[in-house]
Amino acid sequence: MLEIRKFLIGGLLTAALVSGAQAQNQVNIGAIVPSSGPFAEWGRTNTVTLKMLEKQVNDAGGVNGAKLNIIILDDAAKPAQAANNMRKLAGDDKVLAVAGPLTSSACEVTFPIANELKTVATSQASSKPGVAKANRPWAFRNTVDEGILANTSVPYFNKTFGAKSVAIIYDAKDAVSTSIATRIMPAAFTSAGVKVLNGDSPISFNTGDLDVSAQVTKLKSLNPDGIVIGADYSQAVTVLREMKRQGLMKPVIGGTPLISSAILKAAPEIPVIAPATFYATMSTPKAKKFVADLQPLLRSASGLPKDIEPSMYDANIYEIVNMYVDAAKKSGITGKPGDLEADRTKIRDYMANLKGYDGFSGPIHFGEDGDAIKNFFIVEGKNGAWETKVTGCSAAGGGC
Amino acid sequence: MMSTYYAGLFADIGILFLGAMSVYIILATGQLSLGNAGFMGIGAYVASFLTVEMHLPLTAALVASALVAAVIGVIVGFPALRLKGIYLAIATLGFGEVVRSFLLNFDRMGGAGGFHGMKHVSLEYIWTWAGLIFLLIVMLERSRLWLEMRAVHDDETAANLVGLNTTMTKVGAFGSGAAVAAISGGLFAHHYVYIEPGNFGFERSIDFVLAVILGGSTVGAGAAVGAALLVLLPEWLRFLADWRLAAFGVLLVLVLLTRRQGILDRPLLDKLRFRRARS
Amino acid sequence: MLLQQLVNGLTLGAVYTLVALSFSLVMGILSVLNIAIGELFMLGGFIGFAVIASNLPLPVALVFAMAGAAIASFIIQKVAYEPLRDAPLITPMLSTLGFSIILQNIVTNVWGSDPLQLPAELFDADFTVGPVRIGVMQVVVVGVTVVLVGAVAYLVQRTSAGRALRAIAENRDVARMLGVSVSRTTFLAFAISGLLAGAAGVLISLHYAAITPYIGVDIGLKAIAVMVIGGTTRVWGALLAGPLIGVAEVMTIAYGGSQIRDFIVYGLMILILLLRPQGLLGGARSDVGQRV
Repeated sequence: MLEIRKFLIGGLLTAALVSGAQAQNQVNIGAIVPSSGPFAEWGRTNTVTLKMLEKQVNDAGGVNGAKLNIIILDDAAKPAQAANNMRKLAGDDKVLAVAGPLTSSACEVTFPIANELKTVATSQASSKPGVAKANRPWAFRNTVDEGILANTSVPYFNKTFGAKSVAIIYDAKDAVSTSIATRIMPAAFTSAGVKVLNGDSPISFNTGDLDVSAQVTKLKSLNPDGIVIGADYSQAVTVLREMKRQGLMKPVIGGTPLISSAILKAAPEIPVIAPATFYATMSTPKAKKFVADLQPLLRSASGLPKDIEPSMYDANIYEIVNMYVDAAKKSGITGKPGDLEADRTKIRDYMANLKGYDGFSGPIHFGEDGDAIKNFFIVEGKNGAWETKVTGCSAAGGGC
Repeated sequence: MMSTYYAGLFADIGILFLGAMSVYIILATGQLSLGNAGFMGIGAYVASFLTVEMHLPLTAALVASALVAAVIGVIVGFPALRLKGIYLAIATLGFGEVVRSFLLNFDRMGGAGGFHGMKHVSLEYIWTWAGLIFLLIVMLERSRLWLEMRAVHDDETAANLVGLNTTMTKVGAFGSGAAVAAISGGLFAHHYVYIEPGNFGFERSIDFVLAVILGGSTVGAGAAVGAALLVLLPEWLRFLADWRLAAFGVLLVLVLLTRRQGILDRPLLDKLRFRRARS
Repeated sequence: MLLQQLVNGLTLGAVYTLVALSFSLVMGILSVLNIAIGELFMLGGFIGFAVIASNLPLPVALVFAMAGAAIASFIIQKVAYEPLRDAPLITPMLSTLGFSIILQNIVTNVWGSDPLQLPAELFDADFTVGPVRIGVMQVVVVGVTVVLVGAVAYLVQRTSAGRALRAIAENRDVARMLGVSVSRTTFLAFAISGLLAGAAGVLISLHYAAITPYIGVDIGLKAIAVMVIGGTTRVWGALLAGPLIGVAEVMTIAYGGSQIRDFIVYGLMILILLLRPQGLLGGARSDVGQRV
C-alpha cells in the first residue's frame, strides 16, 4: 500500500508540476493533437510545427511583451481524452484559446466543452459537415465543408476525364468518409449529369481492413469511368494499391482526407483528384518559406520518418495559432490572469469578425457556421506530386 | 472546488466504474463477458433516443434503457449457458461486434455519423448512479444470493447437486450486468452529449474487464480502484510523451504480475479497516 | 467475377488460417487467449518490410519476420504468461493485452503511423487464367500457408514434441506425471505461434504492400472467429475455416452488401459456438473450456 501511495503522490506531483510551470507574464495557448495512436504522425508534425511557431513569435518579441507559451496535449485520437484535454487547457492551464482537436469524432465531444467553458477551439482537420455549426459561438474550424469542395472538384473531374459514370467505395466506419461517399459525392455527380453506378448500394469496407480485394473486384465489374473514394489517406492507400494490382486504372476523386504525401506513392499512375488548402510542394512564397523552415525540423525530430513533409494540417494549425497571436496582439492581451474571461471573449470576437487573414491559400475568414472561408485548390496527384488544377473559394457567392 | 479537468476525469471514472461493475456481476458467477460494450451501446442509444426524441426525463430513460438491455442480456444469457470459460468470452466478444456492426448500419440513429442532442449531466448525477449500483452490489455481497453465485462460480456441478438453480443465477447475472452496462452507456451519452458506434467496440469491453481485474475481482470496490487507475494513469504518464501508451502497457503487466488478484482484495480491505479502527 | 472473387476469398482465407492457427496453438493447448498475436502479425509485417527495403530477397524476409515474431512471442511467454500460469485465465489474457499496447507503441515510434509502402514494382507480377487475374504473391501466400499448416500438422500429430503438446492440451497434470516437460512444451507452443503470426504478417504485408501499426487489431479479432469456427483443437480446422470465412466475406461484399460483412462473420461464429462448440472439425469434446 505504501508503494501505491508513493506512486499516487508521485503522479499528483508531476501533474502539479506540469500545470504549475507557468510564469506570470505569459500568454498561454493550448493545442490538442493526436501524438499517439493511429494518427500519431499528424499529431507529432503538428507538435513540431507549434514549437517552431512558438520560437518564431518569441524571437520576434512575444505578444505585447509577454512570452507566448503553447501547451500541447496528446489525445491519442480518442474523443474522451480530447474532451479532458480541453477541460485541462481551459480550466487548469488558463489558456486563451485552443487549437484542435484533429479528428471530427474528437471535435464532436470537445466543442460542446469549448462552449461550456467559453474558450475558443478551432479544429485543424475536422471536415465532417456541421460539427462547428452545432457548437456556436465558440467552435471554429480552419477547414472547408466537404460539400462546398465537391461542387468544384466534381465538375473538374468530369471535364478532365470525360467521366460518364462513377462508382463509389468508402470506409463505413468513418463518419467523414461516409458523408462524403454516401451523400455529398452522389449529389454532386448526379446534378452534373454523371451516372453514379452504385449510388443505392455503395461498396464499403471498414477502417483497419487490409484486404479490399473483393470490393475492388466489384468496383471493376461495374466498369465505371471514375472512382469515388471516401476514406482517409491511409485507408485510401490500401484501395489504390489494390486497384493497381487488379488493373483498375481509373481516375480517382475524393475529399480532403485524401491529401497526404503517402497517397502519392500508392499508385503513381492513377490520377487522384482531391481538394486541398495546402500541400508541401505548393509554389506560393509564403508556403515555400513555411516548408523550408519546417521540413528540416520535422525530419530531425524523433518518432517521425526521415522523408516526412509538412502536411495540410500543419499549415492549418500554424494559421490557427497565428490568428490567436494576432488577436492577442491587436486587442492588447498581455496574459494577465484577471483578464482571462474578457480576453477569451476578445479572441472569439476577433475570430468571428476576422477579415482577410493572410493564410497559405490566400485570405481567410470564418462563416456563420464557424467553418473557414478561404481559397482552396483542386489538385491532381500524379506521378508522385500534387499540382493545382483549379482554384476556388468556399464563400457562398464565390470570391474570397 | 474541483477543477473542471478533474471533474471530467471523475465523470469518466464513474462511467467506467459502472461498466466494470457490469462485468463484476457476471464474473461473480464464473462467466467472463468480453461484450459488455455492446450492452453499453444499447443503453447509450436507447437512453439518447428516449431523451432526445421522446423527451423523457433522463432518469426514466436510463431505467427504461436498463430494462431493454436486461431483456437482451437474458436473451444472450440463455444460449451462453452452453458455453464455458474462454469460449463464452469469445462468444460475448462476437456479440459486442455484432451490436457495433448493427449500430454502424442503423441510420435511424445516425449510423457512422453518430447521434447528438443530449443534455449534459452533472458529475454528481453520474456518481449518484454509480454509488447506488455500488450500494446494491455491496448489499448483494452480503446476501444469500451472493453465496449461491459464488457457489456457481467455484463449482457449478456441485452447486447443481445441492439443489441451487444455477440457470437462474447465471442468466440473472447476465441480465443485471447488461442493465448496469446500459446505465453506464446512457450516462456516457449524456456526459459527452454525442455518441457514435466506435465508442462501443471491443476496446471498451476490454477496459471494463481490465478495471475489474486490475482493481481486484474479488471485491466490488476493486472496480472503483481499477476504473480510477485506467482513467488517471494515461493522464499522469503524459510527461513520457511518445512513450505514454507503452509505459501504460508496462505498468499494466507489472500490476498483474505483482498483484494477480488485483490491487484490492479481502485481506487488504480488512487490514485497512483494522487500521482505521485503531486510529 | 465470381471466380475472381473466389481467388480473393482464398487469399484472405489463407491469412486468416495462419493467424487463427497462431491463436489456436496457444489457446488449444494452454487455454490462454494471447491477444498480442495480432501485434505479432503486425510486427512480422514491419520486419519483412524492413528486410525487403534493404534489398534482400523474400525468403530472407520470411525468415527474419518469423524469427522476430517468435522472439517477441517468447518474451510474452516468459513475462506475461509463465508467472501467471496458475492465475485465472483472464489474468494472462490481460497481460498479453499489455504487450499488444507496448508493441503498437514501439512500432509507431520506430516506423511511424502512416502506411509504410513498398515501391510499386516489387511483387506486382501477375498472370491470367481465363477471366481470372492471379497475383504471384497470392500464389505465394496460399502456397506458404498450405506448407506451414502441413508442417504444423505433421509436428503436432507425428512427432514426440507434438504428442507432448496434445498431452498437455488434454490434461496438464496427467501429462506432467507422465514425464512431459511442461516448460519445454509451453515454449514450443508459443514459439510456433509466433513463427506463424510472423509468417502471416510478412506474406500479407508484402501482398497488400501497405501496412500500419494498427493492422493487427481487426485481423486478430477475425482470426479468433476463424479459430473458433475451425475448432481450437484441430490443426486442419483452421485450414478449412480460414478460406470458408474468407470466401463468405468476399461473397457478402460481392452479392449482399459490404455493410453486413462483420455481422455475417461474428454471427456465424456465435452460431458455431452454440451448435458445435468444438468447431467444425473438432472431436466430440462436449465440455470445452475451463473456468475463468
